[in-house]
Amino acid sequence: MSVPAKLSDVEPRFFTRAQWASFLLPTLVLALVLPLLNAALPAEHLLRPSDFTLNLYGKYATYAVLALGVDLLWGYLGILSLGQALFFALGGYAFGMHLLLMIGKDGQYKSDLPDYMVFLGYKALPAHWEPFYSFSFAAAAVLIVPALIAFVFGWLAFRSRIKGVYLSILTQALTYAAALLFFRNDFGFGGNNGFTDFKRVLGADLNSPDTRRGLYVASVLLLAGVFLLYRWLTRAKFGHLMQAIRDGENRVLFSGYATARYKLFVFVLVAAITGVAGALYVPQVGIINPSEMTPEKSLEAVVWVAVGGRGTLLGPILGALFVNALKSWATRAAPELWLYIIGGLFIVVVLFLPGGLISLPAKFRSFWVKLRSKAPAAESLAAGH
Amino acid sequence: MSHPILQAEDVTKTFDGFRAINALNFYLFPGELRTVIGPNGAGKSTFFDLLTGRAKPDTGGIEYSPVPDTPATDLTKLNEYEIQRLGIGRKFQTPSVFAEHTVFTNLVLSLKGPRGVFASLFHRLDSAARDRLDALLKLVRLDDKRHWKAGLLSHGEKQWLEIGMLLASEPRVLLVDEPAAGMTDEETHRTGELLLSLAGKHSIVVVEHDMSFVKQISINGQVTVLHQGSVLCEGKFDDVQSHPKVREVYLGRGKN
Amino acid sequence: MLRFLLTLFYGFALWAGCAVAAESAPAVAPGRAQLLAALLAPPAEQVAAIRGLVGVEDAAITPALTAWRAGELYLVPLPDGSRVPATLAPAPNGGEQLVALSVLDGTAIPDPAAAPGSATPLLIAPKSLKPLDTTAPLRRAMRDVLEVAGVADPSPSVRRESIERLGQSRKPEHLPLLQARLVIEKSPVVRTALADAIAFIQLADSSHTVRLAAIAALGEAHSLAAASRFKELLAATPPPPPDETAALTAALKKIESHWKTVNFFGDLFRGLSAGSVLLLIALGLAITFGLMGVINMAHGELMVVGAYSTFVVQNLFVSVFGATSTAFHFYFIAALPVAFVAAALVGLALERGIIQFLYKRPLESLLATWGVSLALQQTFRLVFGPANVQINAPAWLQGSAALNDVLFAYNRLFVIGFAALVVFGVWLALNRTSLGLLVRAVMQNRQMASCIGVRATRVNMCTFAFGSGLAGLAGACLSQLGNVGPGMGQLHIIDSFMVVVSGGVGNVLGSVVASLGIGTVDQLLQPILGAVIGKVLVPFAIILFLQWRPGGLFPTRSRSLD
Repeated sequence: MSVPAKLSDVEPRFFTRAQWASFLLPTLVLALVLPLLNAALPAEHLLRPSDFTLNLYGKYATYAVLALGVDLLWGYLGILSLGQALFFALGGYAFGMHLLLMIGKDGQYKSDLPDYMVFLGYKALPAHWEPFYSFSFAAAAVLIVPALIAFVFGWLAFRSRIKGVYLSILTQALTYAAALLFFRNDFGFGGNNGFTDFKRVLGADLNSPDTRRGLYVASVLLLAGVFLLYRWLTRAKFGHLMQAIRDGENRVLFSGYATARYKLFVFVLVAAITGVAGALYVPQVGIINPSEMTPEKSLEAVVWVAVGGRGTLLGPILGALFVNALKSWATRAAPELWLYIIGGLFIVVVLFLPGGLISLPAKFRSFWVKLRSKAPAAESLAAGH
Repeated sequence: MSHPILQAEDVTKTFDGFRAINALNFYLFPGELRTVIGPNGAGKSTFFDLLTGRAKPDTGGIEYSPVPDTPATDLTKLNEYEIQRLGIGRKFQTPSVFAEHTVFTNLVLSLKGPRGVFASLFHRLDSAARDRLDALLKLVRLDDKRHWKAGLLSHGEKQWLEIGMLLASEPRVLLVDEPAAGMTDEETHRTGELLLSLAGKHSIVVVEHDMSFVKQISINGQVTVLHQGSVLCEGKFDDVQSHPKVREVYLGRGKN
Repeated sequence: MLRFLLTLFYGFALWAGCAVAAESAPAVAPGRAQLLAALLAPPAEQVAAIRGLVGVEDAAITPALTAWRAGELYLVPLPDGSRVPATLAPAPNGGEQLVALSVLDGTAIPDPAAAPGSATPLLIAPKSLKPLDTTAPLRRAMRDVLEVAGVADPSPSVRRESIERLGQSRKPEHLPLLQARLVIEKSPVVRTALADAIAFIQLADSSHTVRLAAIAALGEAHSLAAASRFKELLAATPPPPPDETAALTAALKKIESHWKTVNFFGDLFRGLSAGSVLLLIALGLAITFGLMGVINMAHGELMVVGAYSTFVVQNLFVSVFGATSTAFHFYFIAALPVAFVAAALVGLALERGIIQFLYKRPLESLLATWGVSLALQQTFRLVFGPANVQINAPAWLQGSAALNDVLFAYNRLFVIGFAALVVFGVWLALNRTSLGLLVRAVMQNRQMASCIGVRATRVNMCTFAFGSGLAGLAGACLSQLGNVGPGMGQLHIIDSFMVVVSGGVGNVLGSVVASLGIGTVDQLLQPILGAVIGKVLVPFAIILFLQWRPGGLFPTRSRSLD
């Protein structure tokens, strides 16, 4: 029997020196160098990343945060939540309310009320909208609203020990129900058009390159911060417990841990962080509508994680980048093929590459080792013949 | 006689009309090593399920009083982790270890200590805990495999690891379900010695089929025979073995 | 294109008209003679002549007067000096010329110059004729005639409608006509309408007792129109006398409680049929998900396969038998087995291609089948187009039966009955056949079953294909209730997952109870809380429902963990 490779101890170092380097370098490039090049170089310069590129990367960064949340729940804790897009969209809506109020009288109808309210014949701003004039209130709502929904749902679901596919289906039903609600005009959040035509954030013009650059940097920093936070969560005892719950929840229960509370903690935390990502996403794409919270969107985020490699923290980020880059290429080059591509990705990854893209190097390495150990044997065999 | 640390009175549990446990009375006294035997389907595992909160009795009460002269705790109202935290640990019939974790981590997760979310987030191993883990690893003879994935251990080693995990949580009461299954004779004998050495400090209930093992560990203690969900007889190993009813329902059938 | 169709239509009408004219002797009915006399009367006598048509029973009166009022009636002079009232239409050969359609029998006037017996119509140059004049008193007279013409119409439904209209007009001058009609009317439905209309007019009668009797009669008849009139009367100033107020209130209460009951049973019926649809979908899921533990997210698309199969069979019947043939109406019967087999084959391919590798990994099978569902949706879009396809219900599924004012649509009745049949069939298959025994054996312990010689692979294939086939049947049924399009699978899939989750696993009875429950509660909530709220509440209701099921859905009770 071969001796298994030494597995990580219960308290590994947070990062080795090499890991710090490989974390800080890309963070620095993305958060500092690219925006500086964008700001300083003339428009036609070869090295200058375009405004469009930065905006795209900023969007991808918020997607990556969403994917990291899916992965923390699925890859580490074993909860396949199909409702993560709901939390993303709720954060987006909460911040969208603030952005909508910040339009002021610059809307189509030149009214204090948001355009869709004028259109639907509102006489005054509903009372629950008033506090969203305050940026800090909206920012708090971005965290609290998704967390609250996640808490109520998670508390009920985890205490009655709903798990596995049953939990997946219920989360899917939750986000489906929420999307149906938001699609309705009389629910009061703009119906299927949602919120759009935002003008400014914190007094800055949303269309100016400076503001867009700022949003991009904020997204990258959020991603880096969330990466570090999740890294901290998944190491040491808490991380081991999460994986133990994933592999055998009952055993953890009989070891004296209230697993429902662990699940609830992670579920709520991830919901809040996903909400922040959604809040940063909305001003960058300029619109939020209920199609962002459909089960399809959640499943798309799951495919990012599956393609990148679940149970790792780098995998979901790679997956979100790869699949979305593929998507923006495919929807331009061959829109009718996109559903086949993403459907095929689901199937291929599940059947042939459960570890995702991130497991490919190791696969190649072991394949290479096998090949090399076989080759001399074959040679000697041939020589002896 | 001293007050029982664990008592089950008139406990009944049915599954879809089948009476797995039927008006069962059971008393465990502090420091005792009790062996429970019985044919398959006698209700041994269900009995453990009831004691550990995995199943709730239909009728009857289960009480736990670790400290004499204090009010007893009603275990039927508590769930698995609450009962574990009270000091009742269980080893399962098929070894259940965290297969994807190392032997060392398995023990760390089982170590006695605060079990809350935030305690786990900010948990650090102090040197006393490390010493205790080293001692446990030596005791269960997995010192040289501490970095192995637990899933790669042999069946007997997993049994040992689970016993180690049980001890790491420092329970007052140990419920041990078929510890010798899958072990060599030598390992079985050592397990018996370990259990005998733990008796006195801990109160132990062992469910076992292997009669030579039962004979070994019941040298000072009582043997309880379960049959069709209730106690058939109780007593010293030799008395039980010669009991006509026991021979009829259990040993007699075992010989065929 | 339109012109071509018009030509075709007129050609057809001409041919039919000539055929009829050639066969029947020109025996003019008395009503028609009176109409002709009125049309040809000198202007001074026309008003009186037209008023004389009130209550005369003849099918030609309404089209003739309607055309006259609209200024589209012409008197076509014939060489023999007679004049025939007619409307003009483009000639079938598409030229500038017009043909004259006699208002008396609707046929084209034949050319007198042509050989007798030939079907050549008389051609008229445009603008060569002037429409028959109308004056204000004439138009008033015509309006009065037309208003009551429907009362004597041969079709009971037309009679009923126009009688209801007369009642609504509340003009006392119509009373004699209505009462006279009541004496000769035979159709019970029209008689009821007549009685209602008379009572409605009598609400304004000068006699106190007549008014009271009318109120009581309308209350007895549960007339909805009366209810709103009663409300007006009650709110009027000065208010009606006290005993009349009391009678009005009592009658109003009676009507309202009647319709509340009717609506309740109507909702219940719709809920039952919605639940039956859900049940048909969920049964297939209960088998693939409940019994096999496989989450098939493409189950909705298997259903769509069934719906499109129905569409294809329908088109086949149209092209083979024609859309108007009797055989067409049986396409749906033929479509059911086709839908079952088509969906079962797709399911079989899915099981062989993907699911067989994922029996131990439910979450992965969920993701892979979701991928399949996306690909299938896109395939539907590419093959059948992104829009909904047109499915025509066979005649025997159209219309509805009424029982005490509650309408029971035939297609909904059919779905309920069909669902009951399928449930019974599934129950039989699982509990009374050897295949069912094998299925249950494999579901309980795959390894053990294969050890004792059950060919688990084949049983899996059959079970999965069977569950998929049931989805196909559900799709065929749904095609008769709603739209068929590439996205229809997504509409119902989440609801049916809810059914399986709350109904219990592999439990046919549980699925029945859960789907009927969810369907009915959803329908009953809709009038109170709005259309979407049921769907929103269902997942929460299920989570709350699971709160008091100790140990969750599956209390584990084995010797080992997990």
